[in-house]
Amino acid sequence: MKSDVRPRGLTPRTRRGVTRWLLVLLLAVLSLPFVFPTWWMATSSLKPMSEILRRVPTVWPQDPSLDAYGRVFTLQPFAQQYWNSLYIAVLVTLGTMLVAAMAGYAFARIRFPGANALFVLVLVGLLVPSEVTIVPLFRIVNTLGLIDTHWPLIVIPVLGAPAVLAVFIMRQFFLGLPVELEEAGRIDGLGRWGVFWRIAVPLSRSALGAVAIFTFLKSWNLYLEPVVYLSSKKNFTLPQALTQYVDAYGGPMWNVQLAATTLTVLPVLVVFLLAQKQFVQGLAHSGLKG
Amino acid sequence: MSAHRTRGRRTAGTAAVLGTALALTACASGADAPVGEPDTPDEPVELRMTVWTADEAQLGLFRSIADAYVAENPELVSGVTFETIPFDDYTTALTTQLAGGNAPDLAWVFESNAPEFVSSGALVDLRPVLEDTEGYAFDDLVPSALTLWEEGDGLYAYPFSTSPFAVFVNTDQISAAGQPDPADLVADGGWTFDAARDIAAATAKDSGKQGLVVRDFDYQTWENLATVWSGWQAAPWSADGTQCTFTEPAMVDALTWFHDAVFDDGAMPGPGTTADFFAGDAAMTITQISRASALDGSFGWDVVPLPAGPAGPQNVVGQAGVGVFAAGEHPDVAADFLAYFTNAENAERLAAYFPPPRQSLLDGETLGDANPLLSAEQLEAVVVDGVQDAVTKPAHRNFAQLSETVRAELDALWVPDADVEAVLADTCAAVTPLLED
Amino acid sequence: MAAASAAARRDRLVGYTMVAPVVLGSLAFVVLPLGMVVWYSLHEWNVLANTFTFVGAENYQRMAADPGLADALTATLWFSVGLVVVNIALALLLAVLLDQKLPGTTTFRTFFFSPVVVSLVAWTIVWSFLLQADGGINGFLGALGIEGPNWLRHPTTALVAVVIVQVFKNVGLNMILFLAALQGVPEELHEAARLDGAGAWRRFRSITLPLISPTILLVSIITIVGSLEVFAQIDVLTGGGPGSSTTVLVYYLYQQAFRFNEFGYASALAVLLFLIVLVLTLLQWQSRKRWVFHEV
Repeated sequence: MKSDVRPRGLTPRTRRGVTRWLLVLLLAVLSLPFVFPTWWMATSSLKPMSEILRRVPTVWPQDPSLDAYGRVFTLQPFAQQYWNSLYIAVLVTLGTMLVAAMAGYAFARIRFPGANALFVLVLVGLLVPSEVTIVPLFRIVNTLGLIDTHWPLIVIPVLGAPAVLAVFIMRQFFLGLPVELEEAGRIDGLGRWGVFWRIAVPLSRSALGAVAIFTFLKSWNLYLEPVVYLSSKKNFTLPQALTQYVDAYGGPMWNVQLAATTLTVLPVLVVFLLAQKQFVQGLAHSGLKG
Repeated sequence: MSAHRTRGRRTAGTAAVLGTALALTACASGADAPVGEPDTPDEPVELRMTVWTADEAQLGLFRSIADAYVAENPELVSGVTFETIPFDDYTTALTTQLAGGNAPDLAWVFESNAPEFVSSGALVDLRPVLEDTEGYAFDDLVPSALTLWEEGDGLYAYPFSTSPFAVFVNTDQISAAGQPDPADLVADGGWTFDAARDIAAATAKDSGKQGLVVRDFDYQTWENLATVWSGWQAAPWSADGTQCTFTEPAMVDALTWFHDAVFDDGAMPGPGTTADFFAGDAAMTITQISRASALDGSFGWDVVPLPAGPAGPQNVVGQAGVGVFAAGEHPDVAADFLAYFTNAENAERLAAYFPPPRQSLLDGETLGDANPLLSAEQLEAVVVDGVQDAVTKPAHRNFAQLSETVRAELDALWVPDADVEAVLADTCAAVTPLLED
Repeated sequence: MAAASAAARRDRLVGYTMVAPVVLGSLAFVVLPLGMVVWYSLHEWNVLANTFTFVGAENYQRMAADPGLADALTATLWFSVGLVVVNIALALLLAVLLDQKLPGTTTFRTFFFSPVVVSLVAWTIVWSFLLQADGGINGFLGALGIEGPNWLRHPTTALVAVVIVQVFKNVGLNMILFLAALQGVPEELHEAARLDGAGAWRRFRSITLPLISPTILLVSIITIVGSLEVFAQIDVLTGGGPGSSTTVLVYYLYQQAFRFNEFGYASALAVLLFLIVLVLTLLQWQSRKRWVFHEV
């Protein structure tokens, strides 16, 4: 026992300090299952194939090499594919923000006949798993002659089922926004559009930020749809491109795949690291909070 | 790779939507026109072929063959595109294209899908085109290699890759354990499954790693065990695909042998343990010789034919086919291109990656160019001889369902105290209705 | 009067214009495809053979007699319940811990969130290595003197393993939602309760939980619906086995459509899946009045 070191016992303050450090320790232990796979993924991109497949994973490469990163770019037009994913995700994000802000505002604020019925109609999109509608959607896209183009990856997410959560978030946000803030604008002679653009949208920045992050991540990671819609390598998006790093017999080139995966994950993680404060606050102020 | 799927919220009265069954027909666009000498189309057509390889060297070879074809037939074809679909999602994407009315002109077909594709009428009969194409030398094709792709007199796909199964050996581990060299056993006729098991068990004990790995089996893809039970002349169902033969003595013996090798002798990794031979984690592995490309020289290795079972040696091959879709827009042109793509001359070029089903190309020398890692003797012993009278892995018109059902039933076998006969009886009970379908 | 009604008309017009994109989009990309799925479900459709035959309700009658479907529904029930309970409990725990303004919170928050942006397939493959009989998890348990099971080869542990892998992948997002909700709980309420002598647990139960209950409702709806769509994880980790213990409904649907080529039947299963999601959501929404502290 070390109690004799502190003859007066633990003060409430030190006890609080000890508890806090125990909590930090708990967090550290809990982090392991979250961090280790990502760590393994990133470091394995520096290993040769045979070391990656070893049954007992090595924590740090025995002989690190950046070789795989070079091959990421020589085997496929990876830079082009990166650009595809980026511009699609940006367009989808901007489009969704616009569509969701308008629809969310109208459903929350404007009285028009059939508003409730239309809202319920839109909400159906939340309930449809993408596996359910992939075949009919493919038929529609094919009929329109848009196979192997980026259109279905941009238009369907902005207008279809994936946008519904965004509409919902925006509607909840505008419902919680005091009407008085808009009244001032009305008195100043602004019309509906003016109120929307000049007052409502600037006030909803935090909610829009949350919508933006959700939407961007979803588009960035979309897998089934590009695999089905796109067929030429120069049109591929990143998640689909990752599966293309295989050897002549279909066996994955793990080090190259993991190098490419690391390249797709790192920027998003860095952005999250920098923006997480705004992200959390954005959500805290959006309709998702209590 | 999808992120968090975010859906779900209130709704009321949406059931009404379901009542709105929209009158949309899945307009079937089947082309029933007989395939023969292609009529010259009004303008040259674009052909599309789906493949699962993403290897640029292979795709480059395909394109160069296609370019030569276009140059010879400019009035027929303006170009051929090779569309890579990821291996794991190949069937999904291909089926979606078919369902969506956007069938490719040509497609690679998995071995396990062969009977389903062949019997469905989705593919056109290639035999007339191949036989009539000048210089094709149809008789050069190894008959046993075509069996899987035939129905009646028709040949519905060309097995462009016919790759024998063999045993790769980590000679470093085996000699360290003081075990006999399998190549010597092959020479004196002692290379049997029992011998392989004993070597594997002793080597695994010595190395602390695994013994013999049936690659890609993983206690799920059970059809890969055909490389083992064929040595017992066992098969999951009768040749005509109507009778379950899991309960036949040969199969019971073969699977008992396998079960005991895993659970009693420790000669093979148990369920839930994967070991990669090419990473140096196992003494031996049964796989196709094309996997030699995965060897990186970090250990000494050899390749030998499959061991003999109680019923003697039996060669096993894995195949992949390429066929022409009847629902494609230009089946006749596509068939003509296929005949060019796989003619004697181009088959030799394709042999750089895919062991061809052509007798004249099956010699150590031709294949040696394609497989620089393997010696002419190894190729002679494993590939050239391995293709002769080889059987393929089990296949069936109803294979997808059978595969899933058998996998679920055999899960009961992969425990230490399994009652092999009882499990196989259950398997047959579950499988029989599907065979009769 | 006339001016007012003209303004109201204009307002209405603006309303319709604003919702037009998403309403038309829903009609084209949600309602129309759903209708097509219902239409397909009334047919026997073999994509390979190119046959499309009207069979009426046959696919629906077949469901009732399909033992595979019964197994799939059982697996789905356990999977979804397990996933929702574990996910929400862990998300809440992490959020509460991160709300304590401890040192390193920013780093930990990034750690817990990071799997959300990682590729699902890569994530699952790493875990399939870790979950092997002699893999990293059992090595860790062994160091603690526990003999770990052969995770992916026993029906119960396989289901548990799939749930755990899925939870670690996505709990970060729910954690953030809870964290945002926790930060919306006024500090004064806690202070007041503390002065009244309420302990930490008591305060959590009587103040925090009720105030964040709308978020719990939303998160549980999102998670349940998400749990019904888990596919790639199961494909990589267990392939639906052992036996049929991890063959959940969407995996079964996928098998029927893309492996067995039963597009008609798969469409009927899709309609069933949609109805299940619909009913669950309605039930949760209806029950909110009983346990959700105030309206969203």
